[in-house]
Amino acid sequence: MICCKECIELLYSYLEGELSAEMETSLEEHFADCPPCIAFVNTYKATTLLCKNTLKSNDIPDTIKIKLKEFVDKNKPDFL
Amino acid sequence: MKFSDPTKDTLTEEQLVKDLQAGEMGSFEQLANLYQKKIYTLSFNLTRNITDSQDVTQEVLLILFRKGHTFQGKSAFSSWVYRITINASYMKLRTRKKEPKVSIEDILPTFNQGGFQYEKIQDWSENTESLLFGNETRDIIQKAVDLLPDKEKVVFILRDVEGLSSEKAGNILEISIPAVKSRLHRARLFLRKKLANYFWEYKTRKESK
Repeated sequence: MICCKECIELLYSYLEGELSAEMETSLEEHFADCPPCIAFVNTYKATTLLCKNTLKSNDIPDTIKIKLKEFVDKNKPDFL
Repeated sequence: MKFSDPTKDTLTEEQLVKDLQAGEMGSFEQLANLYQKKIYTLSFNLTRNITDSQDVTQEVLLILFRKGHTFQGKSAFSSWVYRITINASYMKLRTRKKEPKVSIEDILPTFNQGGFQYEKIQDWSENTESLLFGNETRDIIQKAVDLLPDKEKVVFILRDVEGLSSEKAGNILEISIPAVKSRLHRARLFLRKKLANYFWEYKTRKESK
């Protein structure tokens, strides 16, 4: 049976569906008997989602939007 | 417009590049509208500084205004935009005093000799909903991302935040696809550990109240 370390090393490829069917089964057999790894997989996935949603929600502040608009109006070429 | 629809993005991008090459009036404003949020947020996620990100956005827009019509189309236009944004952001970071960073090696999971997990793993994945929009969680997440080494951070932002493929991220950063994948995995492991510490403290705090 493969150990936790190997499972975690292969986790990225497992989640991307890049492992061979045989390796995938080995990982799933390990997970079935290993609650810490299940918790690890769940929190690994949740981390990705949380970080993505947080960083994705950063927008340009309104004051900067105004400055950028002025910058674009001033610097856009009039003709080519 | 939103950037979440890749098909729409590509169509708009293709048309925009054509307009730019043809010298269409109005294409510059369209260019700014289409890319300024992308440029600003990428730069902000890399530098975490409003003034620097504004400077970077202006520098990049200026390059696009001046050189956009000469774009050859050898790679995607957006890849070019990402690349010059990353370079301009790195220039900003270079002028800043270096802050000590946590080594990524110290924060990867620990195992016993048999390769089994050594630490107690809490599964907090189902409790994140209520925390997601809290300011404290936002701060923690942004700080954790800021602590990532640059190589892992930029890959994480391009892949997980911007949603680019490994191929495209590799092309922008001029690194191999396996390098993109391994850096992304390390970044996620690093962030997971950071957040695990936070959620553990949060839970303990809540329980002691």
